[in-house]
Amino acid sequence: MGTDFFEISINFVKMVAIFLLMVQLVPALVWVERRGSAFIQNRFGPNRVGPLGLTQLLADAIKFIFKEEFIPSHTRKFLFYAAPVMSLIPGALAFGSIPLSLPFHVEAFELFGQTMGPYRFAFQSFEMNVGIVFVLGISSLGAYGMLTAGWASVNKYSVFGALRASAQMISYELALGLSIVGILMIYGTFDFADMIAYQTGPLTFTWLGSEMTIPFLPNWGIFYQPLGALLLFIAMFAETNRAPFDLPEAEAELVAGYHTEYGGLKMNMFYIGEYGHMMVASALMTTFYFGGYNLPFVEPETINEILLAAGFSATKASLLTSFTFFLVLFTKLLIFLWIFIWVRWTLPRFRYDQLMDLGWKKLLPWALGNTIVTAVVIFVMKTWS
Amino acid sequence: MDMTTILFYILAIAIVVFSLGVVMTANPIFSALFLALTMVTLAFVYFLLNAPFIAGVQLIVYAGAVVVLFVMVMMLFDLKQEKEAFTKGKFTGFLKIASAGWLCGLIAGAIYMSTEMVVSGNQILDVNKASTKILAKELFSNYVFAFEALGILLLLIAVGAVSISRIKGGTHAK
Repeated sequence: MGTDFFEISINFVKMVAIFLLMVQLVPALVWVERRGSAFIQNRFGPNRVGPLGLTQLLADAIKFIFKEEFIPSHTRKFLFYAAPVMSLIPGALAFGSIPLSLPFHVEAFELFGQTMGPYRFAFQSFEMNVGIVFVLGISSLGAYGMLTAGWASVNKYSVFGALRASAQMISYELALGLSIVGILMIYGTFDFADMIAYQTGPLTFTWLGSEMTIPFLPNWGIFYQPLGALLLFIAMFAETNRAPFDLPEAEAELVAGYHTEYGGLKMNMFYIGEYGHMMVASALMTTFYFGGYNLPFVEPETINEILLAAGFSATKASLLTSFTFFLVLFTKLLIFLWIFIWVRWTLPRFRYDQLMDLGWKKLLPWALGNTIVTAVVIFVMKTWS
Repeated sequence: MDMTTILFYILAIAIVVFSLGVVMTANPIFSALFLALTMVTLAFVYFLLNAPFIAGVQLIVYAGAVVVLFVMVMMLFDLKQEKEAFTKGKFTGFLKIASAGWLCGLIAGAIYMSTEMVVSGNQILDVNKASTKILAKELFSNYVFAFEALGILLLLIAVGAVSISRIKGGTHAK
């Protein structure tokens, strides 16, 4: 949390800023989703309000806020209000614990006649040294939001949607957890920052006792665990309840699933929760398999030195370096978010038994096999070198 | 009092309130949701006690999977009759008194035993990343038999549940 008021206030500002970043990305993503779907389906999409339909977002937000606050009389009031919050919080907490860039350093300075010692701030809301375990634990709580929403609505469609959503989340959590065990064994840590530090430099590995370096490839997890990356990506789609896994809100069968009875800002909070889960999923993919905030073949020290040589103070140079690498992570994040949208408007929805068969009979055995093969390979490498 | 102590007392009071909610609400779904809140709060107590891995596992397994299943199953049933059957009758009354006595005995025993517990130096684990490694080493060397036996027990339960559900045709009934 911090030892003096400067550190505490900076940490507080950081937490709020990262939460707002997540929330503010949602309208932009909705715009990308609508324009993107239109582009994929050869339509125009929203193009009347403002340039390229960009102020459509503002119009939507105003509509959400000023919509009549309507609650059906037969609902369970307290849980009906609590459910949108319960589905928003896990995504926000999980996103806050993922490092978005290098930590930045603030040199000692004078304030009100006092010397404020040098500080180090991580570019994330809070640091957890068991990063991935915490993220998995927190995002598994997302099921409660949907379950309570479905049950509190007292509506058959909502309950069915909620049951489908939570059954799907629990089933795919197993495949998700197992698909990352292989890469965790290679990194040997639960900490996100350590994982990203492992992925710096060119691709280097030990092969039959001799060290091999492939200079034109970065040292990213995808080259060690391509199958694990694929499995994680598929399981992530199911965890976020996005198409082709969006059975909880299959319009043809369930109207809108667990949020059938919701409208206005409460509906919007479910949306933010869903997009928050998408952002967490994309951030995990980049952190595990695509080098996190690393820029291939560029060291953070080089950028820091260039900035120092350009006449910036040490604090400003460190801050700017962090911001550069934040932009790198952000670009990777946006690419994955675009793939989420792309897949949604390309693939049709699964049938329910197909969904369960895919989770339990295909992803889970493949993930187990991947884990065992990785363990054997690591063991052989360690004993014969 | 420092920050950790204050946080601990807040969490401890929350745990007591939530667990009272589990037993005192009439609606089983509210009970299950209170149980989930208890589990989450307990996880945060583990965080405070510098056991982040246990805390994460607590979140994943208990709050994220077990209690979700409780809530899911309870939503499928209309539990009015069972509730009445459980709140009336001499046998259930005896059970309630017996379990209250058992709980009192547990609390008394815990207080009595805890005065003799002394944490020796090497039991305090490293706060940082090493603690997970120490835990794994202990699990797979000293306690490997108990660990594997528990795994087999869980497997047996899973197989038993599947076989019971298949007696009536299971999920893929034709």
